[in-house]
Amino acid sequence: MYWLPLGLGFTQYFYTLKTVRGRSMQPTLNPDTSSWDDIVIFDRYSINSGEPIRKGDIVALRDPINSRKMLVKRVVAVAGDIVKTLPPYPDAEVFIPEGHVWVEGDEPFRTLDSNKFGPVPLALLDSKLMYIVWPLDRIGPLRPPISPVSKRGASRDFRWYSDMAAFEREQRRQSRVTTRSTTTSHS
Amino acid sequence: MIPPSWLHLAEPAIKKVGLTCLHLINFGFAFHLFKENVAGLCFMAGPSMLPTLDNSGELVLESILPHRLFPNQLGRGELITLTSPVDPSRIICKRVIGLPGDVVCVDPTGLKAHSTEHVLVPKGHIWVAGDNAAWSKDSRDYGPVSMALVRGRIAARIYPLNRFTVFSKNATYIDH
Repeated sequence: MYWLPLGLGFTQYFYTLKTVRGRSMQPTLNPDTSSWDDIVIFDRYSINSGEPIRKGDIVALRDPINSRKMLVKRVVAVAGDIVKTLPPYPDAEVFIPEGHVWVEGDEPFRTLDSNKFGPVPLALLDSKLMYIVWPLDRIGPLRPPISPVSKRGASRDFRWYSDMAAFEREQRRQSRVTTRSTTTSHS
Repeated sequence: MIPPSWLHLAEPAIKKVGLTCLHLINFGFAFHLFKENVAGLCFMAGPSMLPTLDNSGELVLESILPHRLFPNQLGRGELITLTSPVDPSRIICKRVIGLPGDVVCVDPTGLKAHSTEHVLVPKGHIWVAGDNAAWSKDSRDYGPVSMALVRGRIAARIYPLNRFTVFSKNATYIDH
């Protein structure tokens, strides 16, 4: 009991383990093939230490409309980018102001994300999702999807196809985002 | 290579130092968690809340726990502390002008928007403004802010001692 501040401080400011509920991040988290909710390590230290949030990070944030809820979404665009939005957002294009990010769930059909409440101030971001601990068949770090390499001569297996599908989904998401550097190159 | 006999002699001392460090870290976390979740004294400086709060800095008592327990009991006219929506490392102090559902006049002074422009404050958001309209970056610049950014309210000004005030929660309405 005396050591409670130490434990509390560790989970508040460093790392904590939590379950992810809901289907808005399928198939990255909680896919339909899994019978249990994913258990993930949340990294609070990188957010507190001021490390810049990059596109492709999955973050946990406080819901801007209902401050008691926590949402888990992927950062699709950062400050300075222009995003082509999905319905039900009223404007077709949005410029992300300074200090804000645009978050979207990987499953666009059933998700409460920036397409409903707009750009999110960085102060609402609580932690970054670092590592899936359970279920064991998807154990491993959560990284932005990259194109999978196929070894010469090896047949492409299920894992290659699902990695390629994740990469294509990420490409489709990023095709709706124009970063600051690409807009200035036209002038 | 450290000879084993030296290490055996030093072991209790190393253990003691390690344990003291853990005690210090524990105390540090306890102090920080108290300041962030219950109440704390903090130093407030800046021109945006003149004449209520001075530019050159004052020590105020920030009360956070009541807001944590009852987050929907914000009143119009309360002095609140919140994390800045434009810079997450800054904590700012502003006054609540509009609650969710209110229609707020964006800038009665006409500086940053035409004085007839009004805005409906969306659900879960509030409209904040600094008392010093000429020198305050507030909702007139960045729009309604989410209530999730609010930390707590300013309960009292402690220092300078000759200007000790307790800020009350209740605002008086001037009706036409």
